[in-house]
Amino acid sequence: MKKLAKEEEIKLRKIAVQLRKNVLRMIKAGGSGHIGGALSCTDIMTVLYFKIMRVDPQRPDWPERDRFVLSAGHKCLALYGTLAEKGFFDSSLLDTYGALCTKLGGHPDMHKLPGIESNTGALGHGLSIAGGMAMGLKMDGLDSKVYVILGDGELAEGSNWEAAAAASHHQLDNMVAFVDRNKFQHGGRTVDYMSYEPLDKRWEAFGWSVRVIDGNDLQQIFENATDIPFEKGKPSMIIADTIKSKGLPFAEDKASFHYWKVTDEEMKVAEHALQQIEEGIK
Amino acid sequence: MEELKDPRKTFGEALVAAAQKNNRIVALSADSSGGSGMTPFREQFPERHFEFGIMEQGIMGFASGLATTGKIPFFAAIAPFVTARPFEMFRNDLGYMRQNVKVVGRCAGLTYSDLGATHQSLDDIAIIRTIPGVTVINPGDPVDIVKAVHAAAEHIGPVYIKIGSPKMPVLMDENYSFQIGKGEVMEEGSDITIIATGTLLSKAVVATKALQQKGIQPRLINMHTIKPLDKELVLKAAEETGKIVTVEEGYLAGGLGSCIAELLATENPTPMKMIGVDDQYADAGPYEELLAHLGLQGEQIADTVEQFLES
Repeated sequence: MKKLAKEEEIKLRKIAVQLRKNVLRMIKAGGSGHIGGALSCTDIMTVLYFKIMRVDPQRPDWPERDRFVLSAGHKCLALYGTLAEKGFFDSSLLDTYGALCTKLGGHPDMHKLPGIESNTGALGHGLSIAGGMAMGLKMDGLDSKVYVILGDGELAEGSNWEAAAAASHHQLDNMVAFVDRNKFQHGGRTVDYMSYEPLDKRWEAFGWSVRVIDGNDLQQIFENATDIPFEKGKPSMIIADTIKSKGLPFAEDKASFHYWKVTDEEMKVAEHALQQIEEGIK
Repeated sequence: MEELKDPRKTFGEALVAAAQKNNRIVALSADSSGGSGMTPFREQFPERHFEFGIMEQGIMGFASGLATTGKIPFFAAIAPFVTARPFEMFRNDLGYMRQNVKVVGRCAGLTYSDLGATHQSLDDIAIIRTIPGVTVINPGDPVDIVKAVHAAAEHIGPVYIKIGSPKMPVLMDENYSFQIGKGEVMEEGSDITIIATGTLLSKAVVATKALQQKGIQPRLINMHTIKPLDKELVLKAAEETGKIVTVEEGYLAGGLGSCIAELLATENPTPMKMIGVDDQYADAGPYEELLAHLGLQGEQIADTVEQFLES
């Protein structure tokens, strides 16, 4: 397995802090947002967009690009912050979050911003859409890959399991999905609302090749997401154990920060927390 | 005796012809290929035919994803299972994402008459036409079906095509100019206008002939496209004939009659009679008998029109 060199890891850690800062910037502009899931998957976004995926901000429609589908569309703050940082659009747009007719809606719209591959928001849609992309890329003989992020709460939508079976049946080994298992959904702990555990066994039973990682560990994300397919002929599943609201100690591991209506005081604490993380990188 | 053709077989042959011209066309099946007339496509283009089993919600997403790579998916299955069941996927993955996917609901309306309300599709027009950007076509005869398939393949954007199950009479001239969004006047007349769509067009033709024999001259319009509606043709008919009757094998709520009423109410309020199925789960039974049970046979339509004209 490939490994990140020390200096590469430091660079990515700095980017991850910047992406989290971008998330805060949008929440500051809009006054509220789905913070918990955006921050739990930020490290995955960091590695995908800044180390793995073949994308070119100058050519968002490049046929040979890799695709990314944020099935859990409410984590869009992470996506917007990433695309801006990557140069798909000017970061000043981040300040329009929450404004009338903003291009950065509460769920992503592919027709409003370059770099967004799919409209998501209603849960349980993204994996099927990604499967169709993977199928089309294979038909065209392209080696592009399709990356997906699912939420753990989202897995209660039955349509995911239709897609899971079909991706395996059609041997879509050019797709890799992450379950951002931050263990909380809107109302509380995911396993208390509807348990799909054990996730690894369930995805294996659906024909996927599965690995379980620490989804906030850049090295582990890199090692596994560069090793696709895990098995030839099978779609790859990375169950990423993450911490909800990762990076903001006062909000971590709490369902109450699934959606955050921020106060000025909390924003100051949050910005200070990210500053401390940044200063600690070495 | 007018020629009868199987609508599903007709659709399948047209799809093969369209696919021969355009190699981006792919076919998606929810264990519905054979029943949708797509066996010839599967045999001729096995690498462009994808079987998914009975998972209509997921197929909408796969179709959307395939379309992002430039493919033109045709997804055909029993009408309620590609409209009511995966409605949110139709709306979000095809409509909202503006994907170039063609959905074909077959055995639509009451044509799966013996299988009962779960398999009949009376609400498909009403629900799918609420989705912005989706073209809704309800071909009136086999000629329309062929032309609709080719027009849909060339049109960029999501399309819903509704076809029936029993053999249909050929009513239209093979050389007529079919355009999405343009109705076709089949009979000129000035006493009243009958606007019919889909599988009941043939019944409206019977009704028109019966009325003509009584000295009534109805204008008959084949409204094969529900959305976008041919507003100009409807408004002209309202202006020139003064009364409008709509005929469709579907719910009155939200269907063709409803579309036309929405237009006329705002543009030119005109007395209307809407013929269709009113707010009920239809019974099961032989197709032609079921139509008669619901007042949808040609002679019954003629009687309704005549009474409306006299009222």
